[in-house]
Amino acid sequence: MSVPLLASLEQAFAQLPAAALQAAQLGESRRTHLAAALADGLPTARAERWRYTPLRALERRPFVTAAALAEIDPAVLPAGEGPRLVFVNGVFAAAHSRLDGLPAGVELLPLSQALLGADARDLAHLARRFDASDDTFARLNAAFALDGLVLRVAAGTRCEQPVTVVMVGAPTTTDIAVHLRHLVDIGEGASLRLVEHQLSAGAQAHLVNSLCHVHLKPGARLSHLRVQCEDVAATLFTRTEGVLAGAAEYQRADLELGAALSRHELNIALQGNGARLRSNGVLLADGRRHLDTRLGIDHIARDTRCELTWRGLGADRGRAVFHGGILIRAGADGTSAQLSNKNLLLSPHAEIDTQPVLEIHADEVQASHGATVGQLDANALFYLRSRGVGEAQARTLLTLAFCRVALDDLDDDALREQIDALLAARLPEVAA
Amino acid sequence: MATERTDIDNALNRRYEAGFVTDIETEYLPPGLSEDIIRQLSAKKNEPEWMTDWRLKAYRHWLTMPVPHWAKLKISPIDFQSVSYYAAPKARPKSLDEVDPKLLETYEKLGVPLHERAKLAGIAVDAVFDSVSVGTTFRKELAEAGVIFCSMSEAIHNHPDLVRQYLGTVVPVADNYFAALNCAVFSDGSFVFIPKGVRCPMELSTYFRINAMNTGQFERTLIVAEEGSYVSYLEGCTAPQRDENQLHAAVVELVALDDAQIKYSTVQNWYPGDENGVGGIYNFVTKRGDCRGARSKISWTQVETGSAITWKYPSCVLRGDDSTGEFYSVALTHHAQQADTGTKMIHIGKNTKSKIIAKGISAGRGQNSYRGLVKVEKSAEGARNYTQCDSLLIGKKCGAHTFPYIEVKHPSAIVEHEATTSKISDDQLFYCRSRGLGEEDAVSMIVDGFCKQVFKELPMEFAVEAKKLLEVSLEGAVG
Repeated sequence: MSVPLLASLEQAFAQLPAAALQAAQLGESRRTHLAAALADGLPTARAERWRYTPLRALERRPFVTAAALAEIDPAVLPAGEGPRLVFVNGVFAAAHSRLDGLPAGVELLPLSQALLGADARDLAHLARRFDASDDTFARLNAAFALDGLVLRVAAGTRCEQPVTVVMVGAPTTTDIAVHLRHLVDIGEGASLRLVEHQLSAGAQAHLVNSLCHVHLKPGARLSHLRVQCEDVAATLFTRTEGVLAGAAEYQRADLELGAALSRHELNIALQGNGARLRSNGVLLADGRRHLDTRLGIDHIARDTRCELTWRGLGADRGRAVFHGGILIRAGADGTSAQLSNKNLLLSPHAEIDTQPVLEIHADEVQASHGATVGQLDANALFYLRSRGVGEAQARTLLTLAFCRVALDDLDDDALREQIDALLAARLPEVAA
Repeated sequence: MATERTDIDNALNRRYEAGFVTDIETEYLPPGLSEDIIRQLSAKKNEPEWMTDWRLKAYRHWLTMPVPHWAKLKISPIDFQSVSYYAAPKARPKSLDEVDPKLLETYEKLGVPLHERAKLAGIAVDAVFDSVSVGTTFRKELAEAGVIFCSMSEAIHNHPDLVRQYLGTVVPVADNYFAALNCAVFSDGSFVFIPKGVRCPMELSTYFRINAMNTGQFERTLIVAEEGSYVSYLEGCTAPQRDENQLHAAVVELVALDDAQIKYSTVQNWYPGDENGVGGIYNFVTKRGDCRGARSKISWTQVETGSAITWKYPSCVLRGDDSTGEFYSVALTHHAQQADTGTKMIHIGKNTKSKIIAKGISAGRGQNSYRGLVKVEKSAEGARNYTQCDSLLIGKKCGAHTFPYIEVKHPSAIVEHEATTSKISDDQLFYCRSRGLGEEDAVSMIVDGFCKQVFKELPMEFAVEAKKLLEVSLEGAVG
């Protein structure tokens, strides 16, 4: 039985420009990945990793790939200065991007260019990154992704200005499938802030499959904010594969606010001694939204730390799914791992599924996790009401406070204001 | 001097005290599994036709099921054809007085108060040896109260209506691979029926013993507590030391009607295998309680120290409004033992409550996983769950894992899950040592404190036994 989604992708692949596919001599590898993905098919609900996220409806939908660059209204792009890379329906939009005046030591360009002008070293570097693929979406990405963000920061560079990457979905006549591959490489002792926006320039029901590789060299520091405000009909598969060397620090915040279905896998390997990860996030599952976030934190080296703070909201007919996997390998002594996942369930038709998992093979460790599902605290509500705050406003305030815990690490005031505004716009409806 | 030497030897050999074999004439069915064997087994037990059909149906379904692999366990493939599915002591006792003295001696060694000792202890005991029940004590006293406590085989003959009404209603034939196997080949087990309004006058207890070589034990227990009744049931298990793995696949079903309470306690001490992981029991058990009535309560308490592999999730289906499910567990893995155990709490009725306290201790190369599901259905208004899972690591090569699943579909539910993992802190040890305690005593004291929340749920005799078992099982874990 042929699966319309996969059949349409197979067809789309045949129509991709041969030169682009062949760039950096990746043609063979792309075809192999496509064949493997088609042979495997989409995961079913019987697969443990997908038990809460059925793909039956998606499977029946065909998609094409974007042919040309679509026009968008620049007003949809987020405000802010600094270097910026914009992709519209997966195609690099030079007119909206700002690549001049990059600080010294920072290399920022679209992957399509990097692939064409690649020298031998880069070639091997990129090819290796196209190799990692253990699920169908990663394989499809390896087969299809012709563009994305390439960001390299030289050792010792401290970049003050944040780098922004924006992925815009623009309306088209037929639903399209977008595949993006990002490469972020922060050199030894370097530091950078990266802001990633996934948003929509009008009603569309695209499929976006993106994969982001993050490499932090020893002592590197990356603060990474991802704001997902996709269209209510869009489908997203996002996967981040991070590798942290010794004493590297990765600070990450993910806001899942949009899309019909958004599945995000965040896999971080703490490979060097003393590497640190902080990952915070909010899942705002209202409407008929299905948000699924899956963390896989792998403590390999000694004295590594992770702190994971995630909040979920289930309203209307939404469903928030969270999996927080922490693996501490033998030898990773001195590791400290903490996970907190709290959820508010606000409607009788919403659902929360959470699964905090600890797998521990070393004994000099401190690991804990906590997960809760409940409602707003009646006492706190009463207190606010007794101070003259209206019911609706009190609920909104408490819900906002509940979500903001996950954003405490954000040290950029302008960004914080932007996000507060985003949440403030959405929460009254959710909390009501 | 000589005495001293023996004392030391004895102390060193203390590892698995229940590891002896009783030399008793045993009747077997030939090894292997087929419809024929099942018919023979059923015929040997003189079962009515409905029972035989039920078994065959289960067997046919079992054949279509794949072996499950989802648990975090390393299991060498099981050859179901090499197991003998029926082994019984040849001399069939008519009453306890006729029970083979060797058998009684076995239970004596195990500390089971089977006979007159039972009178002192005030516990009614049903003992299952290999495949059959060998004797139940205190029948008369129980009968006066209206309580039925007998072996499953007897129940099938004497109370067929009750058995047919409830058997397989909590754990259906096709529930899972090992439950289906059990339905096909179960040989005996205990049946308990507490009529309306009766508080069972004493604690009921079953001791399971695998004795014969190359046999599996597949017992089936069914406990029904009618409206407003109460029963506390204890279960203990042991097996001799052998080099090959033996299979134990039991099914336990509990049914609690309105206002009924069932308290089910297990001390599991099947042979765990030696230090190198040779031999030991594969303990694959399906236990499920159904709180069918309003305000009913089912409480599972388990201390799991034995078995090479434990795969067990005593669960509660909280169907009745205001019903309560509890799960208290201590699971210990030492040497090469593996355990994947936990519970499921399915909230269906309104204002249902559940509480899970799970303590895992890993030592040596032991792998210990907690796997649990808390599910709040759309109908379960006001459901409440609290889960606490703590793991203690003793040694560098062991593992402790936690796999909770939380699924909530009602906005008034409150579900909390907490888990921690740590090793015994050097500070705690140092403190105990500075007060003159030896290292092993100190560890054992700290472990005892760690497990206290669970031990206090056990009936007193069992709590003492459980504590002792932990001490023995942890021997050699430190240093």
